[in-house]
Amino acid sequence: MGIGHGHHHHHDHDHEHSQESPADIAHLLDTAVADADLSPADVSRRGVLRSAGVIGAGVAAAGVLGAGAAAAHDSGDDERGASADRSRRSDGDYLWLAGDHHIHTQYSSDGQYRVIDHVRHANAFGLGWMVITDHGSAQHAKIGVEKVNPDIRAARAAVDGTLVFQGLEWNIPAAEHGTVFVHPGDNEVAVLKEFENSFDGVVQNATASTPANEALALAGVNYLADAVTRKRVRDALFLANHPARKGLDSPHEIRGWRDAAPNIAVGFEGAPGHQAAGLPAPTGPGSGRGFYDNSPSASSFPAYPLESYRTFGGFDWMTATVGGLWDSLLAEGKPWWITANSDSHQVYADTSVRGAGTDFNTNGFHNPPEHGGTPDLTLGDFWPGFYSRTHVGASSYNYAAVMNALRAGRVWVDHGRLIDGLDVRARVRGQNRGVTLGGVLTVKRGSRVQLAIDVDLAAGPNWAQFVAKLARVDVVQGDVTGAVSDRDVFKSPNTRVVKSFEITQTSGRVSLVYDLGAVDRPVYLRVRGTDGKRTGAGALGAAIDPNGPQMDVLGSADPWKDLWFYANPIWVLPS
Amino acid sequence: MSERPDSGGPAVLGVDAGTGSQAEADHLLAAVAGGLGLAGEPVAATHFVRVGTPHVALTFEVPDGAEVDLAAVAAAAGPEAGIVWGAARRGPDERVEGALAAVAAHGRTGRLVRFPGVGSLTGTVTVREVLERSAVTEVSVLMGAAAAPDTEVLTRDHVRPEWRDGAVVLVVQPAVGGRVAPFEVPNPTPCCGDH
Repeated sequence: MGIGHGHHHHHDHDHEHSQESPADIAHLLDTAVADADLSPADVSRRGVLRSAGVIGAGVAAAGVLGAGAAAAHDSGDDERGASADRSRRSDGDYLWLAGDHHIHTQYSSDGQYRVIDHVRHANAFGLGWMVITDHGSAQHAKIGVEKVNPDIRAARAAVDGTLVFQGLEWNIPAAEHGTVFVHPGDNEVAVLKEFENSFDGVVQNATASTPANEALALAGVNYLADAVTRKRVRDALFLANHPARKGLDSPHEIRGWRDAAPNIAVGFEGAPGHQAAGLPAPTGPGSGRGFYDNSPSASSFPAYPLESYRTFGGFDWMTATVGGLWDSLLAEGKPWWITANSDSHQVYADTSVRGAGTDFNTNGFHNPPEHGGTPDLTLGDFWPGFYSRTHVGASSYNYAAVMNALRAGRVWVDHGRLIDGLDVRARVRGQNRGVTLGGVLTVKRGSRVQLAIDVDLAAGPNWAQFVAKLARVDVVQGDVTGAVSDRDVFKSPNTRVVKSFEITQTSGRVSLVYDLGAVDRPVYLRVRGTDGKRTGAGALGAAIDPNGPQMDVLGSADPWKDLWFYANPIWVLPS
Repeated sequence: MSERPDSGGPAVLGVDAGTGSQAEADHLLAAVAGGLGLAGEPVAATHFVRVGTPHVALTFEVPDGAEVDLAAVAAAAGPEAGIVWGAARRGPDERVEGALAAVAAHGRTGRLVRFPGVGSLTGTVTVREVLERSAVTEVSVLMGAAAAPDTEVLTRDHVRPEWRDGAVVLVVQPAVGGRVAPFEVPNPTPCCGDH
């Protein structure tokens, strides 16, 4: 099958929806995607949008801008496949599944655990989905990518209630790392292996920040898109990991990945893993939270400020900065989503050690862990699900639905079980439903719009055995100003915290409403909350963010005393 | 031996060996400084070169009266290094370009590894002592209030200020116990073995 007639690949095939989610139409709206690259059905649907004036001739309709009449959200109501696991939440529309897309095993040179070690813990800690992402490397491309597969398949069979994807951690040429993963199937190993051999920065000796290597990264993203189009795998996703850690992911590279394949490159880690790394020595690693303790290098993007190399309230600077890089993408109307993961390699205070006689370089894996006897307090990670969670609103309990939810941006994240549930909807005042995370609400110009935020407070203890208490919820709003001319922009001039709710209620569901007033221009909104234990002026000043996350202190960052949740955005477009 | 350059500021030797990281650059800087054999603590610095494959080049201030043994420098820096000293050029064109760029940047941008007084900035010292004892002219607290003179600086024996508009600025960040510590960590997490 030629790529010119690719199948509309990312729909949940278990049932048909009469409505399309914004992410589903994003590629139709994106004029960078040529008609020739769409299926006949999609060309037809694009024609409808075009004739409705949604895609203007000569207008670069990037992302959601001009999403127009097709903005209704995915109503996916099929939960028949849902597990009865009490850790999963359903709000009537979606099954909210907690997950983690960044986990290392003994098939990483700096990893340690078996696949089943991670899957058993993740399942016990409440995760409904997870992705195994060992580092791209010569050994992994040759050995690990194949050997890990039977371990993953065995874990799928052995553990009920947690979907286990195979992926890898891509050394993005010229940039940082990223999660790449595929829908399970006969070709999952073949596609990942081919991808790794062809496009991994370490395997290809292409880590340096050069234009040629940046082009190789784009080719890698396009390869994944093509593998889906050709039905070699049913689906594939790419999310950038710890994007600001070393200043390597420049704004134009992030924009480039996204624009190359908006349905494949869908977001980045809002919060990195390694959240125990800032625990003070000698009873902790004494490093930077997230192991964010680097300085600029020759390969880093020169305009990033020094604070971008540190976390803020455990979150990456690109996400934590109100009016910063993430907001600059959202203000363009680009769908781009955040996640929060463990990046678990070796767990804080674990007593196991790598198996005796281990020889990764020769074998391509570490010998399975053994009992060492002494808690290792220099390790900086948590088990998957223990601290960081990425909650996705899936239409049903299966692999395709999780991937579709990630792609649609029906995603919120939290640390330390700060909250149990989050339902955010933009709606015209007086109407009940509206549009949820990742969506686009299209209204008549001048309509009065509200953002309704329902928060289920933590009803029980987290894995540090205390009940987290939500202290504040902030609404962040920005104007949607369209495509930027300078693709290295990392500020959004008109974004700020527009409303803060102090939370005094201590149990149950908190219902908050932010009234936008009459909407006369395109805007987006996103929601954030905190335990309020460590707040102050945001990275761009108190006028933009009066009570934002603070830069984490090296060697003095207890992750349990500084908890946040972040939700992905909703756009409101008047027509 | 080579004739010293005739310019307004201090005479500056430039070396570009295509070094990848700051840590490797520090290592090379020590080797070249050993080859130069200059007395005292003359300024030596690192500079990013973002042409071609991004890398790090070095500069060395050469005090009046001191002579430069280019052969010794070349021996320390390796045969593929570009060396610039006054009108003298050694090494491949691309590396000479990098060394020239570094010399041009010297005193305006870049990161000081050796500078007068650096040897006294070990253990824990106060901000006042940093300013009094060394060439550092300003201590700037990242994302924090201005540093009080009595604020303690946990140096970790690794102090790398940078030039900003002619000032020598040491950027510090809040550290354990109300102290501050230089932004640059001596041994940052390499994360991940393969990268």
